[in-house]
Amino acid sequence: MISRKAFLKAGGLTLFGIGIGGIPAFMAQAANLVQEPALFKRRKILVSIFQRGAMDGLMAVSPFNDQFLKAARPALFMPAVKSGNIPSLIDLDGRFGLHPAMHAFESVFREKNLAIVHGMGSPNNTRSHFDAQDYMESGTPFNKGTSSGWLNRAVGMLGHEATPFQAVSLTSSMPRSLYGEMPALAISNLQDFSIQMRGNPMNANRISKSFEELYDQTASGLLKTTGKDSFDAVKMLQKTDVRNYKPANDVVYPTSPLGNSLKQIAQLIKMDVGLEVAFAESGGWDTHFNQGAANGIFARNVTDLSQSIIAFWKDMEVYQDDLTVMTMTEFGRTVKQNGTGGTDHGRASCNFILGKDVNGGIVHGKVDTLAPENLEDGRDLAVTTDFRSIFSELAEHHLQIKDKQQLFPGFEGVGIGVMK
Amino acid sequence: MKNILKYFYLPIFLAFCLIIGSSFKISESDKIKFPYKKTGLTERQAAAHLLNRFTFGARPGDIDKVVNIGLEKWFSQQLAAGQKEDELNKRLSSYDAINLSNAEVVKLFPKNAQILRSAIKDGLINKDSVNLSDMKKYRASLATYMRDKGYRPQAELFRQLVNQKILRAVYSNNQLQEVLTEFWFNHFNVSITKNICAEYIPAYERDVIRPNVNGRFEDLLIATAKSPAMLFFLDNFSSSGTSESTQMAVNDKVRSQILAKAKMHMADTNSQRAQALKKVQQNRKNQGLNENYARELMELHTIGVDGGYTQSDVTQAARVLTGWSVYPMDNAYGNPLRNMIEKAGVDNLKKRGFVIEGDFLFAANRHDRGEKVVLGKVFPANGAYEEGIKLLKMLANHNSTAKFISRKIAVRFVNDNPSETLIEKMAETFKQKDGDISAILTRMVSSPEFWSAEALREKTKSPFELAISAVRGLNADVSQPFQLNNWISRMGQKMYFYQAPTGFPDKGQYWINTGSLLNRMNFGLALAAQRIPGVRLNLLALNKNREPESSESALHQYSELILPERDLEKTIARLIPMLNDPELLNKVERAASLNMVQQPKPTMVNEDARQMSDATEPKGNKTISGNSQRQTQNAGNLMLAQVVGVILGSPEFQRK
Repeated sequence: MISRKAFLKAGGLTLFGIGIGGIPAFMAQAANLVQEPALFKRRKILVSIFQRGAMDGLMAVSPFNDQFLKAARPALFMPAVKSGNIPSLIDLDGRFGLHPAMHAFESVFREKNLAIVHGMGSPNNTRSHFDAQDYMESGTPFNKGTSSGWLNRAVGMLGHEATPFQAVSLTSSMPRSLYGEMPALAISNLQDFSIQMRGNPMNANRISKSFEELYDQTASGLLKTTGKDSFDAVKMLQKTDVRNYKPANDVVYPTSPLGNSLKQIAQLIKMDVGLEVAFAESGGWDTHFNQGAANGIFARNVTDLSQSIIAFWKDMEVYQDDLTVMTMTEFGRTVKQNGTGGTDHGRASCNFILGKDVNGGIVHGKVDTLAPENLEDGRDLAVTTDFRSIFSELAEHHLQIKDKQQLFPGFEGVGIGVMK
Repeated sequence: MKNILKYFYLPIFLAFCLIIGSSFKISESDKIKFPYKKTGLTERQAAAHLLNRFTFGARPGDIDKVVNIGLEKWFSQQLAAGQKEDELNKRLSSYDAINLSNAEVVKLFPKNAQILRSAIKDGLINKDSVNLSDMKKYRASLATYMRDKGYRPQAELFRQLVNQKILRAVYSNNQLQEVLTEFWFNHFNVSITKNICAEYIPAYERDVIRPNVNGRFEDLLIATAKSPAMLFFLDNFSSSGTSESTQMAVNDKVRSQILAKAKMHMADTNSQRAQALKKVQQNRKNQGLNENYARELMELHTIGVDGGYTQSDVTQAARVLTGWSVYPMDNAYGNPLRNMIEKAGVDNLKKRGFVIEGDFLFAANRHDRGEKVVLGKVFPANGAYEEGIKLLKMLANHNSTAKFISRKIAVRFVNDNPSETLIEKMAETFKQKDGDISAILTRMVSSPEFWSAEALREKTKSPFELAISAVRGLNADVSQPFQLNNWISRMGQKMYFYQAPTGFPDKGQYWINTGSLLNRMNFGLALAAQRIPGVRLNLLALNKNREPESSESALHQYSELILPERDLEKTIARLIPMLNDPELLNKVERAASLNMVQQPKPTMVNEDARQMSDATEPKGNKTISGNSQRQTQNAGNLMLAQVVGVILGSPEFQRK
């Protein structure tokens, strides 16, 4: 009986069978570059994590002395002083308390490697997830027409040659942040990806203008039967045992999507494939319903966020000098809890920046008392720091990208001292 | 006598009216002329374009049919959605879950947590000793419990849901209705990923979306607003006024009577009831607004994010819709509410302003009774249920909605960036005809923009559309639709699982990347080579059993068949190298010879058995195809399968 394997093996039908070794132009070009040892000089790495759905910054990092907050959130507010068995916030500076489920962040904060910016957000007051994410990722909060993402522009401004793995998103489709002229890869799963690469080196989620353009590239690659795999990064991917990866320091990553993404980013970094800009996502932040306090949906989300990031940080111990991790979220949530034990769409939130060149151990930004007159539209934490101030400062200090106008067209603001 | 005459003539008169009426209708549709000649298209090209946009792909012979019927008439037939569905119904008859009501689904397909609770209640599992070390035994006993109780896993429900969707898309004679069902479902997206709404999705598509796809937008909007799937998906089921704002609503005397009654009942039954009641009281304390639905209602469903609303409008609209909830169907989650309803009595509740309509419940006691202002319109205090309907009607017929919806329809059916003039025209019809979707579509197809070069083959097929159009184009027989679903998911579109309320993006750019292209190419090859179990086809029959002499002539002939009425010059130039590669040919030959040597020749009987029992067919298909002629011509068939596979994977076939 003929087996399926034989069928596949024999199949001229399996177009991929003939494709081994054929690679599109951009990869071939990059492959040559990879062979230059100079490229293996370690570069700075930026890892961006988008918390989709809008994180409640007031619950993550809570101004616990604020009586207005306490009154507005009878079911959500937590004190910083322990009373009985109820877990309390982790007092960071006498004013802000970290959610107890984020205790993993405490030590890096005390070691001054973790900075928090509170009151950060977009100057555009849309409370639509889709618009706000789009604006934050394009980096142009008042222009829907911007076709590129800010991270893609950043990649273009790095000013040196790169490998195809320079910008990688550990997501199933290309995030808006990485849309643009510069090549970027979206990899949903490194293991699958390396198997695909083995069979067919082009099988990477590269975006293009049309199927025709892609097809012509791919087809010519497929038909070039060099039979020899000259692409070092691919070789490396093939050699690496992705499945049985052992993180450093006996770190255990959470088995969440974010934990898995960061674990795979760590693997790519250790493979020295030339990764400089990485992107990952975390979901479930749209907590309209039964948000919970010390326990519940929000607590589970921040546990995952903080533990995934700290696992990554520890795993990356020998790379820490070159690494910055930054979180972002499209907006914050209402000061007042809503009628269903949750919070609705608000304005400012907070974000976390972790790295050795970060001005850490500080809650940056400006958060006024949450008296109604201080709130945006009478209900939301006001945006006092434009997200572009943070992003551009980070790009400048960490990635040596000086031209803010090119990175964030139309942006005139300055940094807030979140980097050393 | 006069009277008798009157009764005699009345039916004749009525029948006469009917004839006049219907013939008038026909003449209405005859009056419409599609302006394709103005843009230089032949009738056949125009028919192909119509089929590309308003069906899930043309089957062999469809263009002839449409030309024979007449393009305009075919379109109005499709809008009327009255074609017989014998074939489809036969294929759907084995799916027993797709016609269940929500209440039946809740009963038959409980959530895992509910099964667990119920098992604990029945003493099968001791809550305190759920021993994780013996998972195997635990699972087995749970499975037995489910069987005994007649419970079925939800995965099976969703499998049937996906299967029926694929079968409808492939076999429905009312193609436009199915295309529109997909379009409007995506517009009012709900997702299996949200556990609490998942089980209501089959009825949502069947009873809320499909019957309303070609009627008035307002009716569709209201139907979605009242559906359990939407109420759960966007949290409105739990949104209520604050205790002050609802207090006026409830006659305190009535409430205390209910409570007293319930308490009495509580005393003489078990403590679980008591807990349930406590929960009701607890919930009452927690009540208040949830803005989630109100925001997406404006942003995504009606006036659009730039439609001119503010945060205050969102909050006020949410207040209008407080108390819009779901009639409790299950005996776990909604039990307290159900108890309350049963105790108070439906008639009493109706007197107090409650509305119960199928699965929908307007809980008057949770409605915010104060005055609201949305988009400048004042909703006076005590507007009750009716003010919600007023709000939805206002939004459905808003100028911004007319434009927003017209644009969305044009993006789906014309091109990714439809012209403003076209949208203006459609929005004008929207307003004149009170959001009559059929009228808007007719206006669109009657506009030259629909037939212009900017529209023709400009839309990129979604993975679902690609798979279905390939199956239809090859006249394939689908007996295991879920196999297609696996491919569609792999190509990037997991049906019913899109998490955000936006629905899948309707832009080619979203689908175009190397990974998806290769998956599409792979799909084409797999389908043509019959490597997809449960999808059978006969490539030679497509070409009237004439075997092409060479791969090149096969490419020409089958391109014409699969991509009718297209300019194929570029496509053929692009695909020829894929066939002419000597390595490729060697491999085909080798494959053929391997097949000749190793393949046990199946008898016809086996073949039939295999084809009929394909529910049990193994994943890897062992043979190339199914008739005796082909067994002696494996090389030719490999070649043909490859040619067809390459055509299905071509950029041209990704366009519609």
